[in-house]
Amino acid sequence: MIVKAMTSHYQRHPLQLLALALMIVVATMLWTGVSVLTGQARESLAVSEQAVAAREAVVRADGQPVSVADFVILRRAGVCVAPWLEASRSASAGRVIGIDPLAMACFDAPPVGAGNGELDGDPFVDISAVAGDSVQAEHPGQLSLLISPGTAPLPEGYERRAFRLGPATGELADSFLLNLDALSLLVLFITGLLVRSVYHLGLAQRRSSFALLRRFGVLEGQIQRLLAAELTILTLVCVVPGVWLGQALANRLGQGFGLALDSLFDLSLYAGDGSPLPWRAAMVMVALVLGVCLVDRLMPRRPAPGGGSSRWQALSIRLWVPTAVAGFVMVFWAGSLVWVFAGTALVFVGVGGLMPGILAGCADAMARRQPQSAASPLGRWRYRELAVMFRNLALPVVALQFAMATVLAVQALVTSFEETFDQWLAQRLSAELYVEVPEGASADAGARALATLGGLGDWHRVSRGKAEVRGSSGDGEAVTTDLMALAPISTLVTGWSLLAAVNEPWAALSFGGVMVNEQLARRSGVALGQMLLIELGGEPLEARVVGVYADYGRPSAEILLHGSVLPEGFAPSFQSFSLNPGARSVDDISRRLTSVWQVADLVIRDNASIQALAGQVFQQTFLLTRAISVLTLVLASLSLLVMGWVFFSTRNWYFQLLGVWGVPPAAVRGQLRRLALLLVSGVTLVALPLGIWLTWVLVSRINPLAFGWSLPMAVYPGFWMELGAVMAVIGLVIAWLIGRQLAGQTSLRPDASLAGGGER
Amino acid sequence: MSVVRTVTVLLAMATLAACTDTQETRGFAGLAAAVDNDSAHEFLQPGPGDLLSFPDDLGPHPQHRIEWWYLTANLKTADGKPLGLQWTQFRQAIKPRPAGSPAPPAENWPLDAAWMAHAAVSFDGQHRFAERLARGDVGHAGAQAEPLQVWLDDWQLSETEAGEVWHLRVQAGGWGYDLQLANIGERVAHGDNGFSAKSFDGQGSMYFSLTDLQISGVVTMNGKTHRVQGKGWFDREWSSQLLKTGQQGWDWFALHLDDGHKLMAFRLREDDHDFLSASWITPDGKLTTLGPDQISLLGEGWRNSENGRVPERFQLRIPEIGVDVQVSAPEGDYWNAGLYPYWESPVTVEGSHTGVGYMELTGYGK
Repeated sequence: MIVKAMTSHYQRHPLQLLALALMIVVATMLWTGVSVLTGQARESLAVSEQAVAAREAVVRADGQPVSVADFVILRRAGVCVAPWLEASRSASAGRVIGIDPLAMACFDAPPVGAGNGELDGDPFVDISAVAGDSVQAEHPGQLSLLISPGTAPLPEGYERRAFRLGPATGELADSFLLNLDALSLLVLFITGLLVRSVYHLGLAQRRSSFALLRRFGVLEGQIQRLLAAELTILTLVCVVPGVWLGQALANRLGQGFGLALDSLFDLSLYAGDGSPLPWRAAMVMVALVLGVCLVDRLMPRRPAPGGGSSRWQALSIRLWVPTAVAGFVMVFWAGSLVWVFAGTALVFVGVGGLMPGILAGCADAMARRQPQSAASPLGRWRYRELAVMFRNLALPVVALQFAMATVLAVQALVTSFEETFDQWLAQRLSAELYVEVPEGASADAGARALATLGGLGDWHRVSRGKAEVRGSSGDGEAVTTDLMALAPISTLVTGWSLLAAVNEPWAALSFGGVMVNEQLARRSGVALGQMLLIELGGEPLEARVVGVYADYGRPSAEILLHGSVLPEGFAPSFQSFSLNPGARSVDDISRRLTSVWQVADLVIRDNASIQALAGQVFQQTFLLTRAISVLTLVLASLSLLVMGWVFFSTRNWYFQLLGVWGVPPAAVRGQLRRLALLLVSGVTLVALPLGIWLTWVLVSRINPLAFGWSLPMAVYPGFWMELGAVMAVIGLVIAWLIGRQLAGQTSLRPDASLAGGGER
Repeated sequence: MSVVRTVTVLLAMATLAACTDTQETRGFAGLAAAVDNDSAHEFLQPGPGDLLSFPDDLGPHPQHRIEWWYLTANLKTADGKPLGLQWTQFRQAIKPRPAGSPAPPAENWPLDAAWMAHAAVSFDGQHRFAERLARGDVGHAGAQAEPLQVWLDDWQLSETEAGEVWHLRVQAGGWGYDLQLANIGERVAHGDNGFSAKSFDGQGSMYFSLTDLQISGVVTMNGKTHRVQGKGWFDREWSSQLLKTGQQGWDWFALHLDDGHKLMAFRLREDDHDFLSASWITPDGKLTTLGPDQISLLGEGWRNSENGRVPERFQLRIPEIGVDVQVSAPEGDYWNAGLYPYWESPVTVEGSHTGVGYMELTGYGK
């Protein structure tokens, strides 16, 4: 009987129960999805790091990639060396590592996964499965030869290097994952606020029921225990589908996530067995929901924040203002991502604490400023009512503000990234055609052929390879960088927007200068005008930095030189020509080059296909971030809709008084619409500055730390308007729902309780 | 002979490398599987009437499943101390390669065959052992007949340019040897002109030996380099079937007797009746092949060791040739503790004849 009485509330208000359940399901889904993805990525990082722990790689002294022949030479010389071949299978299956367990037997401690006989593609497979006829790999990877650090001196022609699976981007990748974690924590925080507010609103509505139960002799403790049990069951019931949906979300986004990690950090997402359902994420969700809803039972009662208590307001200002200020300062000065996140959290806490009071205060002030005209009582009433709502809907208002700010910031980040990337790509791909120099063909001969091809537009030759760079003092560890050499310098590159440059930077480059990409400039502190010692194919070269260029979408450091400074001994790993055909046709050019190089076919790519491929990569990169922020907004909007509706319902008695005072029903509905719009407009207005600030934090503070490059700060008022329109729709829907209720029923005078809307 | 057991290692290693196929793993779990496995039909199987062919048979046999090059030596240091030495290289094919077919490209890291090499030195009560593994057709392990080359990494047996002397070089962690091997005798084709039966049912292998190797060189151990010289015994054996179901292991002996005779004898142990075979070689190279009914081999006592117990000594009797000897290993533990341990020790011979030799025991221990 007691249980039936307890649950009758949700029978009367099924939508409230549905809203609460939906919030828990959606939040669990988001949290689980992100946890699975970041967990898998971290596991991949750990696997690869563990697998190569205490290993070094053998490289050829002449800079050429190692081959099977090198492996044989080293083994015949008595060097315990083992092959390591990474390759990608299908895009969603992750990368696998081909190893030779027989060769690895000479190591004292075989790499993880290699010594237990489990070559099950998780991620290790026999190397023949990666390289041989049975290849399932789409892109066979580069061969590495691993040795133990204590290995005897290597034969002539070979050198040892620290073995890394890619550039030293582990920290960047970690930062990226931390970024996602922070975003999902913010989702958790917002969810906590929303769930708590909806749950407590329900509790307020049920106080009369509880009082009735007490009069029938049911003890207060029993009621509390039943409430706790009810919430626990609801949470558990909702968390299960949430976890399942989260797993599905992770599977859906996994491919894009893997692509993002690969393109941004050269970090491979390795194949793994189907990860078990992430129950740890589920437990976090259960703890969160139970915690935010039941924490009041454990804490001593404190004075109500509403009601305009000057003491409480003073306390709030003394508490929240320093918190927010400390957060701002921390974000501005922080040198690491963790501190930026901590500062951002403080700002959110401070702003969240202050905002309901500020909004309510503004509404009160507006009420006081209403002119004393015949129409003014309604105006005053509206703003007073708004002030009450801001105070009593504090939690959902703050949650919505945070959600909107997050969506605004993420949208600005993604859009500015896309625009910047598009501009950058347009610069980098200013040629119409790209011709690869075939293996064994002479790029010099190709260049001579193009130089004598009349009517050809601008062109240049691109040589790529590796270089070692250090400061001119020769101190410090040499940094291995990618190298791009261009010659001749044409209009295909002189239009590049450089992040920093000397006067006439391209002329300076032609006279022996060097340009560095932003990643190298940031990571190694390379500045304009600095002299660099560059080792190319065993030859030293000293060059002054004449420019810093943006190089989005990959973590590698890179230097740019004029092709004429490359020494004879430098063996480029890749060469191509970028060209505009001008008056010549593609066939003309192709015929000339195939004739010079004596080859049957040429690899010629056009600008559009490269642009499309690059665009696809970056779409995938931000798919996850965008999905999280949009789903959070959906969650917050849904919450506002439910909360607003429920809260407006509790004020029905006051709204009906408008009719008693002689306001026509249509005018009452009009007032309700204006009130609802004022409510969502207020939230939108306070979300804007927070969103802009968060945008700045993302592009100027977090992005350089997480990705290795910065973005220009940009705001998008068009999107603000779109978001405002969505909020307005929600406000109008609330007003419409309440208007229907007012027309169809006689509401009871509610309890004079805080959450029940009893403030007058 | 030692091979059969050790071949399991190769089989297992090959399985490890190709380990996605659990069916294959089960099939290779026991030695008998080598007989029972259907895929044996794809390999060329030796049989009675098959003949040896030189120099080709010094090289690899890609159509056969298993083979080995096996050297044991009873040497003496400059101060007269006995020193035993072993070098073995095994090849285990995963799939047969028809005659004349080219090897798969090394760039594919093929796994048509696996190689394993064992080296051991037994001196002054100590036993050193090392193991090397490699996949075939990549290039760091292999064999060729002419000039003879058998190598795995930097371990190598090679025919010198003069062609009459072989050079064997092994370097393991902290010890190794560098030896010259000169063959002064005739090749011995065991069994039926080289086909050596291994069961009453007719399974067997092609098997020949060089029993008169004069060996000299240096052995490095415990930081000391010892100049050594003495006698060696070199076996070549290949097959695609070796043990039949029910056979538990074997005891194998290669003995240099002081009167100039050489004796090879083995027993394949089975529950109800062991299979025995022997080759008796006179000082002038005449061979007498002896069958199961003519040989008696009994283990006597037990020696406890790290990997379990093995017979303390063997009583070998072959009345037809007047042999009645006790064969025993010196004090110590002579397990080759590789992936699949087996016992490999120098032995002394006492009784009707005296001498030295080598003994290999498999199927004992834990």
